[in-house]
Amino acid sequence: MTAIPVPQKSRLLSAIPRRMILPGILLAALILIPFAAPLITGADPVQISVRDRLALPSWEHWLGQDEFGRDRLARVLYGGQVSLTVAFVATTLACIVGTLLGLIGAYFRGPFEFVTTRLSDVVLCFPPILLALLVVTLFGPGAGTLVAVLSVLYFPSFARIAFSEALRVSSLDFVEASRALGTPSHRIVLGTILPNIAGPVSVQYSLTAAAAITIESGLSFLGLGVVPPAPSWGQMIRGARQFMNQDPLGILIPCVALTLTIYAINFFCDRLRDTLDPKGALGGGKDETSVPVAARVTPPDETADVVASIRDLRLQLARPGGPVDVIQDVSLTLRANQCTALVGESGSGKSLSSLALMGLLPGAIRQAGGALRLRRKSGQMVDLGTLTAKELEDVRGNDVAMIFQEPMTSLNPIHKVGAQMVEAILSHRPMPYADARTRAIDLLELVGINEPARRFDGYPHEMSGGMRQRVMIAMALTCEPRLLIADEPTTALDVTIQAEIIELLQRLRTEYADGLSLLFISHNLGIVSEIADRVAVMYSGQVVEEGPVSQVLNTPHHPYTVALLESMPSSHEELHSARGDRLRAISGTPPLPDARPSGCAFRDRCPIAIPSCADAPPPLFNSADGDRKVRCFRAPEAGSEAAR
Amino acid sequence: MLAFLLRRVAAAIAMLLVVGTIIFSLLVIVPGDPAELLLSTGGGSATQEAIQNLRSEMGLDKPILAQYFSFLINTARFEFGTSIVDGSSIADAIALRLPRTLEIIGVGTVLALIVAIPVGTLAGLRGGGRFDVIASGVNALLTSIPGFVVGTLFIYFFAQVLRVLPAGGYVAFSDDPAQHLQMLVLPATTVALHLATIIFRMTRASVLEMRGHDWVRTATAKGLRRSLVVRRHILRNALGPVITVVGLQLGILLGSTVLVEFVYNWPGLSGLLVTAVEQRDYPTVRAIILTVAAIFIGINLVIDILYSLLDPRIRLK
Repeated sequence: MTAIPVPQKSRLLSAIPRRMILPGILLAALILIPFAAPLITGADPVQISVRDRLALPSWEHWLGQDEFGRDRLARVLYGGQVSLTVAFVATTLACIVGTLLGLIGAYFRGPFEFVTTRLSDVVLCFPPILLALLVVTLFGPGAGTLVAVLSVLYFPSFARIAFSEALRVSSLDFVEASRALGTPSHRIVLGTILPNIAGPVSVQYSLTAAAAITIESGLSFLGLGVVPPAPSWGQMIRGARQFMNQDPLGILIPCVALTLTIYAINFFCDRLRDTLDPKGALGGGKDETSVPVAARVTPPDETADVVASIRDLRLQLARPGGPVDVIQDVSLTLRANQCTALVGESGSGKSLSSLALMGLLPGAIRQAGGALRLRRKSGQMVDLGTLTAKELEDVRGNDVAMIFQEPMTSLNPIHKVGAQMVEAILSHRPMPYADARTRAIDLLELVGINEPARRFDGYPHEMSGGMRQRVMIAMALTCEPRLLIADEPTTALDVTIQAEIIELLQRLRTEYADGLSLLFISHNLGIVSEIADRVAVMYSGQVVEEGPVSQVLNTPHHPYTVALLESMPSSHEELHSARGDRLRAISGTPPLPDARPSGCAFRDRCPIAIPSCADAPPPLFNSADGDRKVRCFRAPEAGSEAAR
Repeated sequence: MLAFLLRRVAAAIAMLLVVGTIIFSLLVIVPGDPAELLLSTGGGSATQEAIQNLRSEMGLDKPILAQYFSFLINTARFEFGTSIVDGSSIADAIALRLPRTLEIIGVGTVLALIVAIPVGTLAGLRGGGRFDVIASGVNALLTSIPGFVVGTLFIYFFAQVLRVLPAGGYVAFSDDPAQHLQMLVLPATTVALHLATIIFRMTRASVLEMRGHDWVRTATAKGLRRSLVVRRHILRNALGPVITVVGLQLGILLGSTVLVEFVYNWPGLSGLLVTAVEQRDYPTVRAIILTVAAIFIGINLVIDILYSLLDPRIRLK
């Protein structure tokens, strides 16, 4: 459950979401109608009239009469009263007792915690109906027994939920703060914690109410619940069973009433859960990756050393208000033996651009334009958009491989490391298992893992983050790709480990036989200056500056690149010339994709912006020698291009 | 792994002890004389002599601690004593009827797994899509129908209207296999239907969660076939939580089959239990509930071990 750590007292009341209206009305109707019974029918639910047994519906008896000639409409309505009352009284009792126990356990901890959690464990160990039957044996049937049984049955689930939620809430800052301010415990628990756990508890409340109705009617059906002649739905089904041949209406009516009521509660509960925890809500039902789209125009021929190219890529995010561009006109050329770095703040579009090259875009993102081209091992340059799903699978891992930011979560925790490498090898190169195993162990050794044969049989959780990242690298190399994409491969690691991984990548580049092209994504300019040959700086979904790494980092031309360098603490001497010796934060925040300013996307934060920056978005200006590109009206390239 | 096993077994035994103690103490904390209470079925009070007899028969005249220990020892030896109604052996009655109950639960569970896991997986993989919306909608409706209602309606449609299956009853497999299987269809399907809705929901949620994990993206990035990604990196991971839920539900089913058996006149534990409850035959009720709770705890132990085989990280906890 994604917690919003602010007090939220009136979140439920302030605005009832539209999705709750229908289930709310349905539920309210089904609960209220039985209690309006005297207004609907004047008939007495226990008035026997043997002469009219099993009579069909008539003007006086809309739903007919049952096996004792009692009015069926009255019995369904009054039976509903009994069922609903038993269920809701029991649920409410269970909710109050359980929630209080949970709150006390979570707030005071110690022995309270022990009692709360163990008590729940024990009760949860009995199948509910059996526990109910046990109590009925001792106390005899009846509505009172039912309420008692059901509340005992259900308070543990409330205690559990209240306990774990309260534990979460009471560690939040504002609770700690009021505790420090000396607010009395009961005020904190009831005034601050309780409103914040109301969501999950109310979901549990409706779940429990539905279960309570089911058990109540089940026991009454067995003849061990509500005592006749008082009507209840379970009993009506029990009574009508013997006559279902002559009188199917007799079983259908209470069955429908019971099912509809439970359905209404469940429906309400599902919607409530979705509303409180929108994480569960899904869009579209598409497969998780979106498919690359073929280019409409044939791009110019690439020279033989081009391994991959991105041309005028435009990616859109589907939004309720219409698609929003998250990547605009991004072009990149990746060459053999070259390391290209992609830098920028989080959300600038670095990762999306690289995922696009793998055909791994998230389902919500659509390629709206441009071309993604890749050189296959055959030497042929292909447009990813023209490939079938099967061909894409061939390309991935074989022609281009990727390592990700989070080594801790990028390996499947339940499979052995070796098995995860072998499946990659066997997917692309059919060979005996033993050969694949040897190859995997060799690769583990290559990336510097000690005792590779032992690690091959180990699980990811037995390894450190640095080791897992090495495994990821080894796995990426299993099929000798020409292009390796590394998406912030060191961000999640310790500084010392970072250096080792960078060193490893450097070494692999030189040792790699056919020449490896590396696309290195990072926000760390220090690492970039060490490893990369060229660098592309991204801002708000666009490349704003691109060129050889030494030139761009030493004499940045785009004000954003300047700001990035200034905001970065660095021990790299060569970078100091570019920024003097001050460390500065970039003022403001990058614009969201749907709220970019007109003209240049950076102008709101730009120290050198002029009024005309707002008129039109700057194009990517080329330097005189064509080696550098800058998207800024005030950059030297803009002048040199205008001069030509 | 051995340490893990021992810990789990020890915890299960401790749980059994607690459950036994609670069941024992329920009789002690009931207000009034239990013997008198249990004999007060018909409204009229029992004779003093009958009450005395029952007291000594149930050992209620001994000190509480002595009662408690003899109860524990007898239970551990599966000696549940005799019914206070007709004096027959409770252990024999349970041994006769328990397999019948386990049969409908077993067949029902297999049916439910066969249907619900593939459908739940498909719905989860296409979360929010048309198939998912329809499957989840149907599931929500089916979840809302209590088992005994399903049973009653099944009997009406299949036995009364269509006349293709018997309305209920029981014939031993050894006496007439075909008839036995015919009679098994409706009860097992009823059990399966309810269980399937729960397994569907859990599988769908679990697949939905797992498919968003980084390792799924890694597997796709490696160039694995989609079917392999789904099988090894989504479904395999998703099964852990599903198995846990199935285990919990099996325990709950041991209770709720009471209703299904009652509907179909299937002479499992339930007939014994319902009669015993009606006649306030406390020793019988107690023995049945102890048996079921023990099976429940046993199932959970098995599930824990299965889960640890599926997910090696569990063994560390």
